[in-house]
Amino acid sequence: MAYTRAKIADLVDGKIDHDTLHQMLSTPKDPGRFVTYMEILQDRVPWDDRIVLPLGPKLYIVQRKDNKQWKIRCECGHDFCDWRQNWKLFAKVHVRDTQQKLEEIYPRLMAQTSTWQVLREYYCPECGTLHDVEAPTPWYPVIRDFEPDIDTFYKDWLGLAVPERAEAA
Amino acid sequence: MNIHAPNSRSVQVLGIDAGGTMTDTFFVDSDGDFVVGKAQSTPENEALALIASSEDGLGAWGLSLGDGLKGLQTGVYSGTAMLNRVVQRKGLKCGLIVNSGMEDFHRMGRAIQCYLGYAYEDRIHLNTHRYDPPLVPRNLTRGVVERIDMFGTVVIPLREESARQAARDLIAADVEGVVISLLHSYKNADHERRVRDIVTEEIAKSGKAIPVFASADYYPVRKETHRTNTTILEGYAAEPSRQTLKKISDAFKEHGTKFDFRVMATHGGTISWKAKELARTIVSGPIGGVIGAKYLGEVLGYGNIACSDIGGTSFDVALITQGELTIKNDPDMARLVLSLPLVAMDSVGAGAGSFIRLDPYTKAIKLGPDSAGYRVGVCWKESGIETVTISDCHMVLGYLNPDNFLGGAVKLDRQRSVDAIKAQVADPLGLSVEDAAAGVIELLDSDLRDYLRSMISAKGYSPQSFVCFSYGGAGPVHTYGYTEGLGFEDVIVPAWAAGFSAFGCAAADFEYRYDKSLDINLAPDAPAGQQEQASKTLQSAWDELTRNVLEEFKLNGYDADQVTLQPGYRMQYRGQLNDLEIESPLPSADTADDWGQLVDAFNTTYGRVYAASARSPELGYSVTGAIMRGSVPIQKPKIPKEPLEGETPPEEAKLGTRKFYRKKRWVDAQLYRMESLRPGNRVAGPAIIESDATTFVVPDGFETFLDGHRLFHLKEV
Repeated sequence: MAYTRAKIADLVDGKIDHDTLHQMLSTPKDPGRFVTYMEILQDRVPWDDRIVLPLGPKLYIVQRKDNKQWKIRCECGHDFCDWRQNWKLFAKVHVRDTQQKLEEIYPRLMAQTSTWQVLREYYCPECGTLHDVEAPTPWYPVIRDFEPDIDTFYKDWLGLAVPERAEAA
Repeated sequence: MNIHAPNSRSVQVLGIDAGGTMTDTFFVDSDGDFVVGKAQSTPENEALALIASSEDGLGAWGLSLGDGLKGLQTGVYSGTAMLNRVVQRKGLKCGLIVNSGMEDFHRMGRAIQCYLGYAYEDRIHLNTHRYDPPLVPRNLTRGVVERIDMFGTVVIPLREESARQAARDLIAADVEGVVISLLHSYKNADHERRVRDIVTEEIAKSGKAIPVFASADYYPVRKETHRTNTTILEGYAAEPSRQTLKKISDAFKEHGTKFDFRVMATHGGTISWKAKELARTIVSGPIGGVIGAKYLGEVLGYGNIACSDIGGTSFDVALITQGELTIKNDPDMARLVLSLPLVAMDSVGAGAGSFIRLDPYTKAIKLGPDSAGYRVGVCWKESGIETVTISDCHMVLGYLNPDNFLGGAVKLDRQRSVDAIKAQVADPLGLSVEDAAAGVIELLDSDLRDYLRSMISAKGYSPQSFVCFSYGGAGPVHTYGYTEGLGFEDVIVPAWAAGFSAFGCAAADFEYRYDKSLDINLAPDAPAGQQEQASKTLQSAWDELTRNVLEEFKLNGYDADQVTLQPGYRMQYRGQLNDLEIESPLPSADTADDWGQLVDAFNTTYGRVYAASARSPELGYSVTGAIMRGSVPIQKPKIPKEPLEGETPPEEAKLGTRKFYRKKRWVDAQLYRMESLRPGNRVAGPAIIESDATTFVVPDGFETFLDGHRLFHLKEV
């Protein structure tokens, strides 16, 4: 059983009705889903380097066409860093660590106390897309969200060949 | 059922079960004989399926629709129309008046509502959780200034002008109903009733006709969201259902009936479609079977009954202990928490129409939770179903007769099932088609068996002390499977299993029930004065509820002296969390001595439901609610009683043989026509007993005996 490409495209766009969505969530994933999903994403980005794995709505691990290196890339085409590094360390960061900065987005008295918790917003330095927000205690290090084991995922879960990868010099 | 003596019948009672899959009708004549009619449901216009089903049933008696209906004394309806209206959010446009500052609580709902009705796997799968749109949107919700605390004390007086403004806003917004639900109004209804009167005045001034529903007039019980949801249902869904029921009533009147239909209600009685509290008819189908089992048990002397019902979409289990149903006070339906008394029942989403899928990664077989419903499965070409269902497995294994499904009304194709199971299940698993299908059935049977066992043992009982009743269209197909090895005292399949819910509806009392929350707390050594006060508090609640009950009967033309009243109360050991519903041993309560008798009745029931040694009266007793039930006598179906004949089934009952697969081998199962078997007959497996509306499977290793009440008893040999 496999869903049509149009159905998966609707899923990406968040245009599916609740009942269908619920069914998709609670029935086993159709075998061809990942490939279809990647094709749809690939069609929508403005560059043609191959997407290896999506990391967020507008953030990807891609294989550069010219040298086969894997990079973490914003939808706009900006490369943050090598895929093994924490991309947040290469992003523009806006820290809301005072009551005044927090109250720009929350009503008065409804924001957290900035000495206990701050908001850190990570933006693409080129297009300004907000890729992630952290809400840690003020002294907490930058969080590394996700360290995917892509080789195992491709080989053992999907039964696909791992895309070629040149290690960064 | 009884096809001898086809003429000069006087048909008296009609029971209707309009389910999602099938619409069943159940006719009883003046001798207590009955016949079951079946037709596929027609959700767009229920009256169509009802008439078709009636023609089917009466046809078996050789009667035309008009001849059959003209002598009817009474009819009971149960169906899913109101539930669907709520699920699909197709109710009326209602306005809601709550406390100022509380306008968002209905929209936010209770967190549990985001996963109610889900299978267990989905409940723990957070991504599937979601909130339905509220019944009343935020822009039709208004706040009034007032506050009454949990003790019923006025903290902020009602600012009448705020109520007047709220009413004017909602009237101007053209609402079709106004619902009022204020905090703690179950404890002190003064403000809520005053708001109700103000709204009524404003509506009169506007010249419009808009019904007003105050929660204290309908469901004066604890828990704000429950009470508010239920009161909203009255305005939102019950009013349109009243119209539907009137249409059905009228459609039958056109064919010659002369009475108003009654509807099965959640508390297990039937009420008129004219009833004030109609929301409690929201779920009624599965309850019918439980009421039917209770009635059979009363007549035939079975005290402990495990009721099991398999239809197209679900497996429902209810327990009757010592002849009593369990009533649940705050059930959920249509993903809403409600304040309705509901016959307690547990369901799993596994029925004959459940879809079967393989997990492509683990190759695990997954049953449901969704189902083909009335569309049977791949074997029915016209259904458009492509995923195999349990019914397809039945087809492959020879359980079902492809030419006699619903008496041949729906033609099924076994080869379609074989091909689909081969492609979707057997080939991926490397099994033969019959082994794959048999594996699925074994899996379903063991799921249901574990479920039944855990339900009974969780309540502290063992199956040995229970009789298991099995009914529903698909129940008898699986009875052997889900009862095997559990050691029930007896396993009973009524010959009218397919119409059992409708039978139950016909057997239900004409009964209204009203509930009210109370907070009576008494120490074990409370002085006589306090005990007397407690009796009086309970009595004043009973008085209030009695007025409501009598008012309902008055709508149907019954005077107070025709109504039998049965007061009840909910009591618990002080400090415990769960209460028990007790039928009052006294018609009224007034003195300290009366209080003592109420406590004794509670202690006795507690000892029976749990164990005498588990009683813990050290901290005293609490009464959490008052209940008043009123009923009037009605005509009920008689249970047949025929003399026993020989053990050997008559030749004319035999219909040949069919290949039947179980435990890795094909055997020739003897086929019987259910209607031609005689009381006293004994049938050894492998055998399949067919009727138009149901199929009773007796595999090898089992034997069944048909008694004089037309009940099959299934035994392992």
